[in-house]
This record gives sequence, structure tokens and C-alpha cells, in this order.
Amino acid sequence: MSVLRPQDQLPGLNAATILLVGTDDALLQQLADAMLKEDCASTLKVHLAQSLPLPSNVNRPRIDLIVFVVNLHSKYSLQNVEESLHHVDATFFLGKVGFLATGAGQDNHCSIHRNTVLRLAHTYRSPLFFCDLEVEGFRATMAQRLVRMLQICAGHVPGVSALNLLSLMRSSENPFLEDV
Amino acid sequence: VSQEDLDPDSTTDIEDVTDTKEELIKKCEEMWKDMEECQNKLSLVGTETLTDSNAQLSLLIMQVKCLTAELSQWQKETPEIIPLNEEVLVTLGKEEFQKLRHDLELVLSTIQSKNEKLKEDLEREQQWLDEQQQVLESLTVLHSELKHQIVTVSESRIFNELKTKLHDTKEYKEKLLITLSEFLEDHFPLPDRNVKKKKKNIQESTAQLITLHEILEILLNKLFDAPHDPYVKVSDSFWPPYVELLLRNGIALRHPEDPTRIRLEAFHQ
Repeated sequence: MSVLRPQDQLPGLNAATILLVGTDDALLQQLADAMLKEDCASTLKVHLAQSLPLPSNVNRPRIDLIVFVVNLHSKYSLQNVEESLHHVDATFFLGKVGFLATGAGQDNHCSIHRNTVLRLAHTYRSPLFFCDLEVEGFRATMAQRLVRMLQICAGHVPGVSALNLLSLMRSSENPFLEDV
Repeated sequence: VSQEDLDPDSTTDIEDVTDTKEELIKKCEEMWKDMEECQNKLSLVGTETLTDSNAQLSLLIMQVKCLTAELSQWQKETPEIIPLNEEVLVTLGKEEFQKLRHDLELVLSTIQSKNEKLKEDLEREQQWLDEQQQVLESLTVLHSELKHQIVTVSESRIFNELKTKLHDTKEYKEKLLITLSEFLEDHFPLPDRNVKKKKKNIQESTAQLITLHEILEILLNKLFDAPHDPYVKVSDSFWPPYVELLLRNGIALRHPEDPTRIRLEAFHQ
């Protein structure tokens, strides 16, 4: 079993790579397309994966940010993410991991409670975003946010490190997390 | 961890070797070497995965360590700047200006399109205003016309009303006259010729007598035709008993100086 590490290879020139992990291929593809449409000074690379670990025989660039996408309508997608988390090195969680919960808009279809994902993100000390990826406008906004975050995680923004961003986000993003 | 200060252009254009570029490239290569060293050191560190139970605590500890390290790094570091010679500054300035120009062009085009839109809006509003004014004008004209009509209508109505009143009054007068003449004919006939024969000796020479109706008519006409001198000379054709009747009942009055003249009492005054 290979474990994904943030610093296992040298960075590519001006490249920033994001890895989207989730069971819903179509949604991930749409999100990836939206991200590539964003105006960005770095060379964006978006990798998609159903689950971790990744096959070890493939040559891939250094991963700067992993986003786990949980579909609130499917218990399987949560289970898949939880299992994938075991194949990620602890140092990744110093700001280079995010959780994205989709499908919260259709409350009656949800089979996973919001608090469950909140607790998961809290356990791994990582930011959690809620976004209905099926709505185009929301998806575009999310893509923009992820691109900005990725640029910081790839070290393309002078003076801000991933951990720096993480500690900034904790206070503003989820002030109620401590109560969960 | 600012490993991406590499400028892609500086590595490609090596033919045109100037001192500045060489210097920059040297710097970059030094940095890259540092990074490779760090990478080697990092790869020796073992991996560590998390379980749900230990995740929070170990992550928090790691975060504290890393943030402390970052802090001390920031405190130690003096910001390094790119060598400030003319060429670098010029290039950077150009880039900056180009970026600014691009941004400003965007702003310009946005503003222009906005202006265009506003102009269209203005035109549309102006047109609308004109139309409204035209509507207002025609309505005003219509209004004044209607007002005028209302006045004439009321005038003609009053006129008509007066006409009918006048007509009614005339009719009433006509009726009164007819009734009066009938009454007079029925109740005040001319003296019977046969009865009169007895007194023939006295009134032989009397001219043709006229009816009471005719006497009243003469008096009435005189009163209205010559209000300044309404007296009528009592002629022979006036039957004396009737003259006496009129005088006694106060219908006619004798002239205060000339007993041969009488007038109708002015009932209407």
C-alpha cells in the first residue's frame, strides 16, 4: 500500500496539481472543467480518483492539494472517503487537504447528516466546504475558491503557506466546529 | 517554502547572455540545489498515517510544531530581493505596466459598454418622454374641446328652456284671453235691439255699439301702446251701462280733469 506524501518529489515548474477524490465521476469531471476555466497564473493540473491509494506504477506530478468530495446522498461515498483517508500521510493534513460536501441543497435526498461530515473534517483538522456541485453557478464559485487555495498550497503565493492559510481559515470558516 | 521564484523566461533565453541574466540564473540554480537537498532529507523521513482516534491530537501537535518553525523562520529571515540593477527593474516595470494596461483596457471596455447602454437607455427614456408629452398635449386639446362643448350645451339648454317657458306662457296667455272673451260673450252681451226700442226716442242717434270685449281691448291696447297717456275718449259706440260697470267696479278710472276720457286701472304695476 502506497501512502501519498506531500513532499515525495520535486515540484514541477510553475505547476500546481490538485487531486479530487470521490465516487461521483461526472460531478468531479464538471468541477475539474470549471477549475481549468479559471484564470490562473500557474499551470493547473487536475487529477481525479475514485479512491485512494493511487496506483503506484504511474508517473504523476507532485500533489499539492487533495479534496475529498462527499456526496451527502450516498453513504457509500462517505465510507469511500473514510477509507481513502488512511492512505494519506499525516503531513498532508497541515493545510493541503479539504473536504467538500455536495448535495446539501436537496435535504430530502440526504442520507448523511451534515454533522457527520463536520465531525469528519474536524477530526482531520481540515476545512470543509458545502457546495451543490450540480448547480453551475455554485460550481464555478467553488472552482475559483479551490484554485486560489491550490495556488497557496503549491507555494505560488509569496508569504503564505498552506498551514498559514489553514490556521487563518479555522477561525473564520468554522467557528462552531469546537462544539461538534 | 517559496520554491517557485523561478522565472521561466530566464532559463530559455541563454544565447543573449548578459550579466543580469546570468546572475539571476545562478541564483535560481542555487535555490534549486537547496530544494533538492531538502527533498533528499525529506524522503528519508518515514510516512505516518492517521486513525480516527489519534488524528486530532497528533495533527494538533504537528501543527504547533510546524507553526512554531514557520514563525522562527520568518523571524530569522531577512527578505531577499532580486538584484536591483536597471535591466531587471525595467523588465519588471514593463511587466507591471502591461498588467496594468490590460486591467485598464478591461475597465475601459466595461465603462464603454456601460456608457453605450446608458445612452440607449437615455434615448429610450427620451422617446418615451416625447410620446408621453404628445399624449398629454392631445389630451389637453381634447379636454378643452370637451369643456367648450359642455358650455355650449348648457347655454343652448337654457335657451331652449327659456323658449319653452315663453311658449308655455304665451299659450297660457292665449288661453286666458280666449276664456276671458268667452266669459265676456256669455255674460255681457250687447243690448237686445228689441228691448231697446222702448227707449228709442232717447238713443236714436247712437252709432253702432261695440261689445264689452272690444271696449276692454281698446283700453288694454291703449294702456300698453302709450303708457304715458293711457286715456281713451268715451265715444258713442261705448254702451254707457258697460262704461258705468267698469267705473263702479274699479276696472276703469275716469280722467281727473276730463270726464269724457277713461283709462284701464294699472293692475300690472
